[in-house]
Parts: sequence; structure tokens; C-alpha cells
Amino acid sequence: MARILGGIGTSHVPTIGGAYDRGKQSDPDWAPLFKGYEPVKAWLAERRPDVLVFFYNDHASTFFFDHYPTFALGVSRTYEIADEGSGPRRIPPLEGHPELARHMADSLVNDEFDISIWQDLPIDHGVHSPLTMFWPPAPDWPGKIVPIEINVLQHPLPTPLRCWKLGQAVRRALLSYPEDLQVVIVGTGGLSHQMNGERAGFNNEIWDRKFLDLIARDPKKLTAMRHADYMRLGGTEGAEEIMWLAMRGALSPRAKKIHQSYYLPMTTAMAVALFEEPASHPAPKSARLRRAKASRRSPRARAAA
Amino acid sequence: MNPQLKGTEKLEGTYVFDLATSARALRLNRFLHGLTVASNRADFKGDLEAAFDKANLSAEERRMVRELDWAALIRYGASFFCLEKLARVRGVSNPEMVAGFRGEALEDFLKTRRVPGAR
Repeated sequence: MARILGGIGTSHVPTIGGAYDRGKQSDPDWAPLFKGYEPVKAWLAERRPDVLVFFYNDHASTFFFDHYPTFALGVSRTYEIADEGSGPRRIPPLEGHPELARHMADSLVNDEFDISIWQDLPIDHGVHSPLTMFWPPAPDWPGKIVPIEINVLQHPLPTPLRCWKLGQAVRRALLSYPEDLQVVIVGTGGLSHQMNGERAGFNNEIWDRKFLDLIARDPKKLTAMRHADYMRLGGTEGAEEIMWLAMRGALSPRAKKIHQSYYLPMTTAMAVALFEEPASHPAPKSARLRRAKASRRSPRARAAA
Repeated sequence: MNPQLKGTEKLEGTYVFDLATSARALRLNRFLHGLTVASNRADFKGDLEAAFDKANLSAEERRMVRELDWAALIRYGASFFCLEKLARVRGVSNPEMVAGFRGEALEDFLKTRRVPGAR
């Protein structure tokens, strides 16, 4: 069966990928952003997952309003980088895992999650803007992806609770996959920002920090909120946070947040949070004792251990 | 009314992109979305009026696109994410668009930001 190692919540604003593409690592305006992703990059390099399953949103790049899917699962072997108006980013095409994705489609539909299916379409910054911060694309991507698009552009959006349930259904799909695979779940979007009207530029760091706390400690509370609450507290595009809920729903209740970073330079609050699952198989008593001691140390020390 | 959106009508300066908006501005958004195709961008840069004719845009739609009247485009029903394609073609940054939505000059908007150089 596939094993879920943990999860990542991350913003996906295009300037994150833009900063990477322009080599802004040591630019003082951007260095804090890169620094915030370093522990995520190191964790992935150490854990070496085979597949990243993405909950993300398209930005009218892959899909248009003539048919905008609420939930849509990508089942391709390859995903080209979408042209969003100035030519595609110069990064390699993303590699899919069609065998796993087809299994997920079968599992989700039989679990009464009648998801749309797509293939042979490009992917936009909703996936790859943050991806290059923690998965080096050179010489090629370290592993494969399975993308799940969520509509956050055209209301009615799926409810926060439904996104959480989608995450749970994806967890069941992964745990029933017959082959051994190491998987990490990624939810992209947010945090506070608004990109329309006179209220554009709205941010709310107090709410963002509360969200980062609740997504780890009490995600059920977030599933009870309405889109209007997310939009009032975090701006219209703050509603993208429902994709973090799908990610969190795919993790076990015992998953622990071991790192987070927050940077708000311009219009979008750029956050990243890393969640780790406890070992999935019962460990020998000595190991359990070591873990119990470790859990009394700080999250940072545990991440480093 | 979508119960998930109850209360958003009280948010000032906010335009919710729902099905009514989407239907109203479909032709314009389709035109903007088309700018993800290189040959359409070449047509747009080569002969703007011919591109407008081909998309059958109204006089007001043409004016807003020609003048990059960001605030009016959003009020009209353009999706921000379709406007982003137009901004890329015209070499306009997102902070400039946001300043436009707010009715501010870019430099005034940047004064309200924590790291004005992070563009």
C-alpha cells in the first residue's frame, strides 16, 4: 500500500516561482522566503517520497469557464508547463503517476466522490510556483505528481467541509493502492490576499497566524466556517485555504506540524507549513520510548533529529 | 443565494465572481483567456482592432481592454485570473493591477506594503 509520510501546506502566488526563476535567493527582499522553504526541501530530500499528491487550483489556464470543474483529477504520464500569457516557465514538464492516479479515480468514484478526470493538459503555477522551492527541478524532478484541481475561482465553490472529506477519500484511495509507494500530500493557496476591487491588497496577519494554528491543532473548526468567513477574514482569494483543508483531511489526526514560515512582502501572505506523520508501523518498545522523549522536545529539535 | 456567500455583500470594494458574473462577462473572459495562446498574442499585438472584431467585443469592452481600465474591468465581470493574462501581454505587474483596482498610483500602493521591492 502507499504510505503517507506527511503533508505540506503552501502559498502558490506566481511571484514565488518568479523569485526562483530570477535567482533571488540572496536578494534581501526575497531571502526570507527561500529560508522558510529550506526545512521543507531538506525533509523531502531525506524522506525521498515517490509521489506528491497536490490539491491545488487552476487559474483559468488549464480550464475555462465554459466548463470549470469543481474537483478534477489528473491522470497523465506527463504534464506540460502552462503558458499563462508570457510563455511557459523554463522548467521540465511534470511527471505524473498514471497507475496511481487511475487507482485513485476508481477508489474515489466507488467511494461516492464522482470526480472529473483530465489528461494531456498543461498545469499552471498553482502546482509549480511553490514546487521549485522544495523539489529541485534540475536535472529533472526527483519524483512524480498526481494533481487534483479544486475550483476556487467561480462560485459556488466546494464547501470547506467537502474539501476536508475529499482529503479523507484520497487518503482511503492511497492506503488501498496495492504497491508500496511513499507519498506526501500538498495543499496550495492562500494565505490572506484579495485580487479584485477597492479592497484589493487586503491582508490579515492575525487571521493567517490563527489559521496556521488551527490547521494543525483543530482543523475541524476550519471545516465549519463558510466561504464568506474566509473571504471576510482573509480576502476573497483567502478562500483558497480550503485546499489546505483537503491536504489536512488526507493526513491522520496524529500528524504533527514540524515547521512553518510566514512572509508578507507585497499583496499575498506567503506561508509554508510541514506536517509529519508518526511511523505507520508499530515500532519496538525501545523506539517508542525514544519517540516519547523526542516528543517532549521542541518541534524544531524533532525535525532535526 | 449561495448560503456560503451570505455576508459577502457587506464587504466593500469586493466583487464576487459567481455564475451570474461569469455568464455576463463570458465573451470578454474568453478573449482574455485566449491570450495564453502565442498566436493570439501575436494577433493582439499586431492588430488590436482586428483581434477585437474577431472576438466580437462591444465598444465598452474594447475601451476597457485598450486603456487597461483595471477597476472598470473588474466591475464589469472580468475574472482577475483572465486579466492576469492581459497584464502579462502588456507587461503590467500584479502590484500595478492591484493599485489600479484601488484607484491608486503604483508608488502610493507600494508605500502601504512591507517590502516594496519584492516585485
